[in-house]
Amino acid sequence: MTDDGITIEVNGKSLPARKGQMLIEVTDANGIYVPRFCYHKKLTVAANCRMCLVEVEKAPKPVPACATPVMNGMKVFTRSPLAVEAQKSVMEFLLINHPLDCPICDQGGECELQDLAMGYGRDVSRYQERKRVVGDRDIGPLVQTEMTRCIHCTRCVRFGEEIAGLRELGATGRGEHTLIGTYVEKAMESELSGNVIDLCPVGALTSKPFRFSARTWEMRQMSGIAPHDGIGSNLHFHVKGQTVKRVVPAENESINEVWLSDRDRFSYEGLYSDDRLSTPMVKQGEEWREVDWMTAFEVIKDRLGLILNAGGPERIGALAAPTSTTEELYLLQKLMRGLGSNNIDHRLRQTDFGDDTEAPIFPWLGQSIVELEQLDAALLIGGNVRKQQPLLNHRLRKAAGKGAAIMAVNPVDYEFNYPLAARIVAGPGQIPAALAGIVQALLEAGRTLPDPSAAALLNGIQADANHRAIADRLLKAGKAAVLLGDLAMNLPGLPAVRYLSGIIAAMTGARFGYAGTAANGSGAWLAGAVPHRLPGGQPSPHAGLNARAMLERRLSAYVLLNVEPEFDCHDPVGARNALGGAQCVIAITAYRTSAMNFYADVLLPAAIYAENEGSFINVEGREQRFGAAVRPQGEARPAWKILRVLGESFCPGAFNLDDIEAVHAAIHADMQGIEPRNLDAWLRPDSLPWVNGALQRLTEVPIYSGDPLVRRARSLQRTHDAGDGMAHIAPGDAGRQGITNGDRILLKQGGETAELPAVIDARLPEGTLLLQAGNPACFGLGPETGEIEIGRA
Amino acid sequence: MSGNNGQILDAHTVAEIEHWLGKYPPEQRQSAVLAALRAAQHQNHGYLTVEVMDAVAEYLGMPRIAVYEVATFYSMFETKPAGRHSISVCTNISCMLNGADDLVAYIEGKLGIKTGESTSDGRIHLKREEECLAACCGGPMLMVDHVYHENLTKAKIDRILEQLD
Amino acid sequence: MVMQAIRNYLKSLFLLEMLKGLLLTNRYLFKRKITVQYPEEKTPQSNRFRGLHALRRYPNGEERCIACKLCEAVCPAVAITIESEMRADGSRRTTRYDIDLAKCIYCGFCEESCPVDSIVMTRIFEYHGEKKEDLIMTKQRLLEVGDRNEAQIAADRAQDARYR
Repeated sequence: MTDDGITIEVNGKSLPARKGQMLIEVTDANGIYVPRFCYHKKLTVAANCRMCLVEVEKAPKPVPACATPVMNGMKVFTRSPLAVEAQKSVMEFLLINHPLDCPICDQGGECELQDLAMGYGRDVSRYQERKRVVGDRDIGPLVQTEMTRCIHCTRCVRFGEEIAGLRELGATGRGEHTLIGTYVEKAMESELSGNVIDLCPVGALTSKPFRFSARTWEMRQMSGIAPHDGIGSNLHFHVKGQTVKRVVPAENESINEVWLSDRDRFSYEGLYSDDRLSTPMVKQGEEWREVDWMTAFEVIKDRLGLILNAGGPERIGALAAPTSTTEELYLLQKLMRGLGSNNIDHRLRQTDFGDDTEAPIFPWLGQSIVELEQLDAALLIGGNVRKQQPLLNHRLRKAAGKGAAIMAVNPVDYEFNYPLAARIVAGPGQIPAALAGIVQALLEAGRTLPDPSAAALLNGIQADANHRAIADRLLKAGKAAVLLGDLAMNLPGLPAVRYLSGIIAAMTGARFGYAGTAANGSGAWLAGAVPHRLPGGQPSPHAGLNARAMLERRLSAYVLLNVEPEFDCHDPVGARNALGGAQCVIAITAYRTSAMNFYADVLLPAAIYAENEGSFINVEGREQRFGAAVRPQGEARPAWKILRVLGESFCPGAFNLDDIEAVHAAIHADMQGIEPRNLDAWLRPDSLPWVNGALQRLTEVPIYSGDPLVRRARSLQRTHDAGDGMAHIAPGDAGRQGITNGDRILLKQGGETAELPAVIDARLPEGTLLLQAGNPACFGLGPETGEIEIGRA
Repeated sequence: MSGNNGQILDAHTVAEIEHWLGKYPPEQRQSAVLAALRAAQHQNHGYLTVEVMDAVAEYLGMPRIAVYEVATFYSMFETKPAGRHSISVCTNISCMLNGADDLVAYIEGKLGIKTGESTSDGRIHLKREEECLAACCGGPMLMVDHVYHENLTKAKIDRILEQLD
Repeated sequence: MVMQAIRNYLKSLFLLEMLKGLLLTNRYLFKRKITVQYPEEKTPQSNRFRGLHALRRYPNGEERCIACKLCEAVCPAVAITIESEMRADGSRRTTRYDIDLAKCIYCGFCEESCPVDSIVMTRIFEYHGEKKEDLIMTKQRLLEVGDRNEAQIAADRAQDARYR
C-alpha cells in the first residue's frame, strides 16, 4: 500500500491519496465537496454531466474530477474562479431543458439539481427557446417516470448494467433527442428496480406508490431493519405524522451497501391494508365482539385454563412466523414452556424433520455476507437466490464478475443475472441423487468420504459431465461455499439433502451455509422457537411437536404469532382443518382475515414492522435492533408486550420483564458463548429418497407472498414477480397430456381436486409440476409437496 | 422469446451477420451490431421494427435495449416505415456554403414532404439530417440509396428524382 | 422668584391654559373631518391589503393549488395544514387545505410563496366565528371565498403586477 501512496494538493491543502484513485474520491474522502450528477461511488465513471469540472494546475482547461486520476503533487482548485465559472456554465446548460416544475415534483427538497441550482444557477435563464418535452412511458407499478426532467446522467442505465445485471433502461436517440427509457412499453422486471429512484439526481424517476403524498421536508427519518429476506437490510422510514410514507435504504457497507430490494422498499404499503386488526376481538358463539385488552386476556386465561385442566399442556401448540422478532419468539417459547408444553415451531413450510437433532444451533450462512464477494466458487442448492435474496445475490454476482464459478442444483431452472458455471435441474425427488452424483464425481477426483458409511448411499450413482464440472470447480476454488436455499429446506428428504450437501462441503473444503429467506430464521432458532431446543440452542429435555406434527395431531388449542396458516403452512388445508377443529385458537396478528374469522377464537392486534420494536438476527448471525418508527394503529400493541402479559397471567412472576431491554437482556443471558457452526453432525439417511415416476408437486413462494405484510403491499402485487397463479408444467409432461398454454387443467392430490390455468414452463424438469403458494385456487389441494395428478378440465 | 430468428432474420441476413462476426473476437459478438442492423434493415425494406431489433439482439446475445440504443443513435437506421429510396442531402459546412439548404427546400417543395418524412406513395424517403459524407469537393451533394450525386443543381435534382421508380 | 410667582398667579387667574386648549379645539372644529363612521363608512384599502385568505381557480374552473406545500412550509405561525394525493387524472392536488385563522398572523408569506397565485389574501377583514371551528378555513370555504371575490382579487393582482 505504501508505495502507491501519493500526496495531492487541493485548494492549498495537502491530502493523501492512492495511485489510480479518481480526484473526486479523494475530495469526497476529505470532505471537500465537488458538485456532481453522474458520478456515483457504486457505479462506473461516465463523466457525462461535466458538473464536477475543477481546475488543475498546468491543465489547459478544467477537468472532470470524477474521471481524472490523481497524480503525485498535482494541484487542484475546486473553488477557483475558473472552476466555479465552468461549473456555473455547465449548470446553465443543464437548466436549458429542465422544466421549472419543482413545486409539483416529488424530488423537490431532496433534488441534487435543485440544490446545485441554488449554488451555481442564474436567477433568470438567458434562453428564450422552448424547452424540450418528453412523453412518458409506464415502466411498471413501482417507478414513476417524468422524463422531461431527465438530465441524461445515465446513472439508472449504468445501474441496470452493473448492479441489477439486467439492462432495462437505455439512452436512445442522440443529441437533443436523447431519451432515457425502455424504448418499448415495458415494465421493469428487476428485483432491485426501486434503487433507480434513489440514484436519479432529479425527479425523472420517482416512487410511484409515494407519488404526491408528502414533501420531503415534512417527514421525519427513522431507522429500521428490513423484515423480509434474512439479510436485514438497513433502512430509513420516512414518516409524516404517524404514517410511514416511504422507505429508503440506509447505508451499511457490510449488509446492503447502499441498495434496497424492491420488496424491502415497497412492503410498507402493507401497513395500511384495509384488513388491519385494530382492537382485540373475541368470538362468542358465531359472533365476533370487540373487547378491551383486559377482557381478552381474561377470556384467554379461562379458555386455555380449561384445556390445561382437561388435556394437559401437551394439547396446546404454538406456531410462530419466522418474521417475528427475537424478543417475541423468545417470550412465546417462554410462555409455552412455562405452561409445560414444548410444542412450538417456526418452520411452517418444512415437511421433513428427520434430522432435527443434528441441526446446527442456527442456520448460518457459513460466512459473512461480505465474504460471499470473495468466493471463487459457490454451489447453490434449492433456492431462487436472485429473486428471494436480491442483495445476497448481488454479492455472488460481484464474485461471478471477478471470475467465480457460481453453480446451482435447483428443482426449477431459475434465471440468474450472471452466467452460471454449471447447473443441474432436478425434480424435488431427484435432488439427493444429483448431490450424490457430485459426491461420486469428487470420489473419482480422488477425494475420500469423510464418513465412510456414506458409500452405501452411492450405490448405482453415476457421475455425469455436469456433476464432474461442479466437483471440479469446487475443488479448484481457493474459497468455495455450498449454500442450501429455502426450497431445499422444505423438500421431503431434507436429511439426505443436508447430509449430502455437508459431505460435498467437507470433501471440497467449502464452507457450508444456509441461505434462508425468513427475516429472523436465525433468531427463531436462537430464541428457542423450535420444539427440541431451548433458547441459546440448548437441547430440550423433552422435545415437543414440530409445526407439521402439531397440525396433524389436531391439538386442542393453538397460539398463532403473525401466522396466516392458509398461506404460510406446508399444508394449508390441513392447517385450516386442525385449527377449525381446535377448541381455542389465539391469533396474535396484525391482520384479520376471513380464514381467521372461521378458526380463531381470540384475535389480539399486534404491531408489525415500523410499529414494532425488537431485533432480528440475520443469516450471518448479526443481531440488529430497531425501535418503533410510528405508533401502532388503533389498540394494537407490540407482540412482546402482549406475550409478556399473557405469560404473567399464567406464570406469575416469571415474566417480570418491564421493557424491551429486559427481554433483550434475558435472551442474551441464554445466548452466551454461541459460536455459529454448521458442520456439526450429520444424520446419514439409510437410503436416498426413492421416487417413482409419478408427477411431483413443487411449491414455490412467489417473492411477494412470503409474509403477511408483503402480501398486502399493493404495488408489489402488480409487478411481474408477484406470481401468476398458474400451474406450471414441464414441456414434456404437457406434451404427453396434450396440454397447451392457457388450458384449464384439473389437479388431483390426496383425493382433493382443483382447477387452474396451465402454463408450459421450460424451466422445469420433467415429472415436476410447479404451483405457487398462496394461490387461493390451490387451497383445497393439500400439502405443498408430494405426488399430484393432472388431467384436462 | 426464442426460436423467432428462423422467421425474422432470413438466410441472407444471417449469412451477412456471420460474415461480420468472423471479423471480431468470438467473445465480442456485439461488435457486429452495426453490420447486423444494416443487413436486417435491408431485409426489412429499409427500416427496423422492434421485432427485427429484438431478433438481432438475440442473435448477438445483447440486451435488447442496447440494440435499440444503437439503432436510434445512427442516422442510417430508420425505426419507422420509410420510402423505398432514401435521399439524404448533406447540409454540413461545405455543402451548406454551396447552397445545400436551398436545395433541401427545393426537394421538400417538389416532393411535398418535410425532411424525416416519406412520400405518400412510398417511393422516396427524405432523411432528416445527414452527417458529412466526405464529398466536400463536390458539394452540394446528396446520396440516393448508396449512390453519391455531386455538384447538384436544381435541374440535376429533377433528373435524379425522375429516375427513381 | 417673586416675579415668577406673580406671573403664574395671573396665568391661572385668567385661565390662560384653558383658553389655549379651547383655541386648539376651535381650530379642529372647522377643519376637514377624518373620522370614519364605521360601519356605515369605511376607510379606503390598499390593493395589497392582507385580509381573509382565499384559494383561486383558473378561468376554466380548475383549482390553481398544486399542493406544493410551500405556503405550509413558509408559514411562521404554522397555521396551514395540507394533505395531498394524485388525483385520478394524474395531477397533484390537495385533499385537505386548512388555515387556522386563530393562528394566522396575516403576514402574507403564503401568498408570496405561492408559485401559481392560488392562495391569496383578500380585502375581507370583517368576519367572525361563533365556535373555534368557525375559524378553521377549509379548502371548500377558501375556494368559496375565492369564487365570490375573484373579480376583485384578479383586479388587485393586475394592479400590482408590475411590482411583483
